[in-house]
Amino acid sequence: MTRIEVQEMHFSYTEQEPILKGINITLDERSTAIIGQNGAGKTTFVKLLKGLLRPMQGKILFDGKDIACMTVAQIAKHIGLVFQNPNDQIFKNNILDEVMFGPINIGMDEQEAKRHSQNALAMVGLSDCEDKNPYDMGLSERKLIAIASVLAMDTDVVIFDEPTIAQDYRGIEKIKKIIRTLKAEGKMVLTITHDMDFVADCFERTIVFAKGKILLDGQTDKVFSKKEELSQAYLEPPHVTQLCNSLGYDKVFLRVEDFVSYVKSKGIENK
Amino acid sequence: MIHKLDPNSKIIYIFVANIAPALIGARMATASFILISIVILTIGKVLHKTAPMLEFSGLILLTVAIIQGIFHQGNTTVAFALGSVVFYKEGLMFALGIALNVINILMSFSILVLTTKPSDMVETFVHMGLSPRLGYVMSSVFQIIPQMTKTMATITDAQRSRGMETEGKLKTRIKAFFPLISPVVMNSLISTKERAIALEVRGFGSKQKKTFLNDLQKTRYDDIFRFVLILILILSIFWRVLIWLK
Repeated sequence: MTRIEVQEMHFSYTEQEPILKGINITLDERSTAIIGQNGAGKTTFVKLLKGLLRPMQGKILFDGKDIACMTVAQIAKHIGLVFQNPNDQIFKNNILDEVMFGPINIGMDEQEAKRHSQNALAMVGLSDCEDKNPYDMGLSERKLIAIASVLAMDTDVVIFDEPTIAQDYRGIEKIKKIIRTLKAEGKMVLTITHDMDFVADCFERTIVFAKGKILLDGQTDKVFSKKEELSQAYLEPPHVTQLCNSLGYDKVFLRVEDFVSYVKSKGIENK
Repeated sequence: MIHKLDPNSKIIYIFVANIAPALIGARMATASFILISIVILTIGKVLHKTAPMLEFSGLILLTVAIIQGIFHQGNTTVAFALGSVVFYKEGLMFALGIALNVINILMSFSILVLTTKPSDMVETFVHMGLSPRLGYVMSSVFQIIPQMTKTMATITDAQRSRGMETEGKLKTRIKAFFPLISPVVMNSLISTKERAIALEVRGFGSKQKKTFLNDLQKTRYDDIFRFVLILILILSIFWRVLIWLK
């Protein structure tokens, strides 16, 4: 089972401005959402996990091993990170080649890489355009290509940075399905996002970052029940949670379906 | 204080600092302008930034001194000898003249370049009649370079995340070249197109006469500075005429 332990981690880009101030956390197999205001240190945090940045103080242990003694390329075998902007990584003029780049880099042979890449493309629903040029596709498809290119590396941990941006309803549903599949495969999934409905729908655990520290950490429904701390971090609970709050329900609802079935069984007046 | 001077005044300074010594025709004049430039750069707290430029041109000027010192055409008076290599006074003086001129030009331009924000400089040029299109090209260079550095860093991160080694042997680095450079080029092409549209939407290509967001700000110091400069120029012209009349 995969575990990432972060111990007393500090980080800053410049001396005057600390970005992360003493992070202690253990990440496990639960699918986890990382939320927080812009500039709270979320992206910096995942870059540190990936070894792209190195902590000033403190340690990151991946399955008990300190990642300080691994290179970025070595870490890449275990932890995959999908960047926000797909244009920062696409360079081949054929989708399959683009997706196969990562697997080959981490030492898979041609056939294995191809098999994994085709699976990954099937997962994001782009199997029928393997030979197309990624630049002929729209932004939302290119985001899916970027996701596939990381999934194909078959890492134990998959981190998404803002996967739902530029996706329509169908795209978001596709991403939700991908996350559930990964979870079922026993992989650790971390996601940075601003989309609270997406968090409520898809993630068991939620971590709230505020001003370089972890403000809240726990089961998603518990986190969303803490109104005061959330507003401190300038966050709003999912829409349905807000609605039920205004209606005066004590129970916390995260999904529309849950609320609907609750009302259907108990009747609208019965709180 | 120097930073607040109108770029126009600095341009006038460059003009006077290079024309007046030529009119007066004495090395002392060039030397004094170098001194004035150094004083102005010190007040502006940017003197240390001229060091790399001076080091580079110093190297070239040194070779000039050696070659002219040995081979200058009018060499007659021996200055000193290093073994069998003889240096002549005339050649060395000629080289000194060149050195003073070069340093004078460098220093006077440094005042403009080092104490003026690039965007202000471009705006002044446009005020003076440079086409706004060319002005935009000039100022966008200053914006695009830091932006490209940033994109480059993100792209490197993205490719390293996909297990690509970017450090180590030459072969690894060559292999890393395409995955890094292609997204940079593609991103630049895309952003150039978007930039062009964004500019056009805001009337960049309009044929109307354009107004300026910032007026040129002339202070009292500018007036004094310019007055002194023009005075020096007139005096040196006077001096030249006197020599001719003699």
